Amino acid sequence: MPVSAATAWGHLPDGRPLHRWTLRNATGAQVDITDLGGTLLSWLAPDRQGRLGEVLLGHADAAQYIVSDAYMGAIVGRWANRIRAGRFTLDGIDYRVDRNDHGNHLHGGVHGFHIQRWDVETEGDALLLRLVSPEGDGGFPGEVRVQLRIRLDDEGSLDLRYDATTDAPTPLSLTAHPYFNLNDRRPDIRDHLIRIDADAFLAIDAGAIPVGRENVAGTAFDFREAAPIGSRLHWPDPQLRVAGGFDHCYIPHGAPGAVRTVAVVTEPSSGRRLTVDTDRPGLQFYSGQKLTGQPGRRGDTYGPFAGFALETQAFPDQMNGPEAEGAILRPGQIWRQHTRYRLDTV
Amino acid sequence: MAPHRIALLFNANKVYDRQVIAGIGQYLNSTRVEWDLFMEEDFRSRMRDIHQFRGDGIIADFDDPDAPDTLRDLHIPVVAVGGSYHDPAGYPDGVPYIATDNARLVRLAYDHLIEQGLGRFAFYGIPPNPGSRWAQEREHAFRAIVQEEAVEGLVYQGLPTSAGGWGTAVEHLVAWLGGLPKPIGIVAATDARARQLLQACVIGGVAVPEQVAIVGIDNDPMAQLLTRIPLTSVIQGAEEMGRTAAHLLHQMLRGADCTGTRVLVPPVGINVQASSKYQPLRSPHVMRASHYIRQYGCLGIKTEQVADYVGVSRTVLEEHFKRELKQTVHQAILQHKLDAACQLIAQSDASLADIAVRCGFTSLQYMYAVFRREYDCTPRQYLDLHRKTTAS
Repeated sequence: MPVSAATAWGHLPDGRPLHRWTLRNATGAQVDITDLGGTLLSWLAPDRQGRLGEVLLGHADAAQYIVSDAYMGAIVGRWANRIRAGRFTLDGIDYRVDRNDHGNHLHGGVHGFHIQRWDVETEGDALLLRLVSPEGDGGFPGEVRVQLRIRLDDEGSLDLRYDATTDAPTPLSLTAHPYFNLNDRRPDIRDHLIRIDADAFLAIDAGAIPVGRENVAGTAFDFREAAPIGSRLHWPDPQLRVAGGFDHCYIPHGAPGAVRTVAVVTEPSSGRRLTVDTDRPGLQFYSGQKLTGQPGRRGDTYGPFAGFALETQAFPDQMNGPEAEGAILRPGQIWRQHTRYRLDTV
Repeated sequence: MAPHRIALLFNANKVYDRQVIAGIGQYLNSTRVEWDLFMEEDFRSRMRDIHQFRGDGIIADFDDPDAPDTLRDLHIPVVAVGGSYHDPAGYPDGVPYIATDNARLVRLAYDHLIEQGLGRFAFYGIPPNPGSRWAQEREHAFRAIVQEEAVEGLVYQGLPTSAGGWGTAVEHLVAWLGGLPKPIGIVAATDARARQLLQACVIGGVAVPEQVAIVGIDNDPMAQLLTRIPLTSVIQGAEEMGRTAAHLLHQMLRGADCTGTRVLVPPVGINVQASSKYQPLRSPHVMRASHYIRQYGCLGIKTEQVADYVGVSRTVLEEHFKRELKQTVHQAILQHKLDAACQLIAQSDASLADIAVRCGFTSLQYMYAVFRREYDCTPRQYLDLHRKTTAS
């Protein structure tokens, strides 16, 4: 179905107008997207009975999105996740980028992609979002041009295809940051079951920076068989204590570069099921423990575990480790990502 | 190092216990931990012999009322598996406890019946018995839900199941079913109980799911085999309980102190079958909206909130209301407020001003205006007519 015409959706602090668009499919599902941060504002999807319900967390208006520190539904960049001390060395040059998370860099910094205004145009049933990130944006080198094509198909898949180029070498990792709650009747995701197709995850320190690869076997992090999120939170595990829950990067099966299913989440009451497919090497699973106090859509506030995020991305702090080169985009290369969030029912 | 010798004390004649054991097996396979597992040959647990056991650890079914006392004095790590308790005092002291979350099991069954459009509910339980405290916990959970949501909820424990008393038990069950208001959704404490319900419905000529919709707990294939109408059933997280129990025992064998650990495992699904596929004559949107109005109609809600709750636009909801109820959503809310007000006027001693506030009228004057329009009388006249005067 063609994308709806743009409707007004508030303003940036400098007065520039913001807009929202609606994607629809044959099942009646619809996804609302704004040019502010390319943010997914809303996703109405059918439950087991075919009734539409909201599956994304969201704030009330543009002003709240602009000041929020939850990256609610946004596209984040230039660097999704963290960089230790906001420092890295690239081709012999030391860079210092925004340190906006306990002394570390997080999600593109204080003025990341998530609160920039993207240029949006419609192309049939797809939405094309473009952003030019200037040299020095957040402290990163090079001018980066990003294009993101978003489409909702009749099978319930929200398809995100990114490509990006740069005029100077720079780290680049983009991700969508929607928080899901597949049960629109209960503001808590702890009864959701999650399966993550990964044998290993990255253990973190108190600043959420990876310190090493760990096997999931025999730990609370083993979701190779689907398990309820909430009961796993009660397993005695130092890595759960460090983060107050799950906020860790998994290393899914399969070679990066090819799209494969990395996670499946089901919600028993509504029967909704979310499947995440991606070609990225890493999958950050965040169980939403720090959502407390985030404003909701209608004057309410979210509590802990109100939503979960599954962020497809490079490894946190990757440019400071042995796989640094895999995190770098160079002039003449095209950086691509293909990620799909599919919603159906069981 | 010789593998640890571990006893699994379960009566593995039910799908639940077998799944717990399967989960323990999954954990061992995933970690390549070698345990020398002891189980009785017939998979029945014999607690009283356990003091003879020369082993390193035990995972035991604590729904067995003998387990806490029998296992208390063993000087090896014990992990308890069983049902959750609403009162923390129900849990045994000094052992980690992995529970199936009885409240969440019942909540999932109830929510499913709500989604089917039912507005009346009942629970078919089990008479109190030390061996089935979980059934009392599920009954307690049901009572708490219907009280919280202010909906009709009847409870029947039935008779204990025995060969001799079977005929009488069925007669009583048929009579109970016959006397229920219909349509109604019934949550059964277990699939075994749900199967009895289905059978009694056949005997009593009660249509399932048109008059009585039924949800069991366990998703037991055996219960499915013995029923003509496929049974909807909540699936317990029993395998995850087994994985969790094995993990804790594994940690304890390495010296960790897990004494205070308590993990409640929610259900992992509901197998929706014909026994609950109640097809209301009315639109599901109207059913859901009515359910919402029944709960919140007196709190000053507006059409928009009802539409939001249902998950459709105002226009769509109004269309459905007009077609099904020949009234607008606003009129339905107003009707609910009027009904509530009439009931309070007739059955309480509250002042009219107080009643206006409690029923969501913005002012006493507005309540007067609505009464005049709808009933052609004032609330005062209605009160004089209906309130039972106590002799003074």
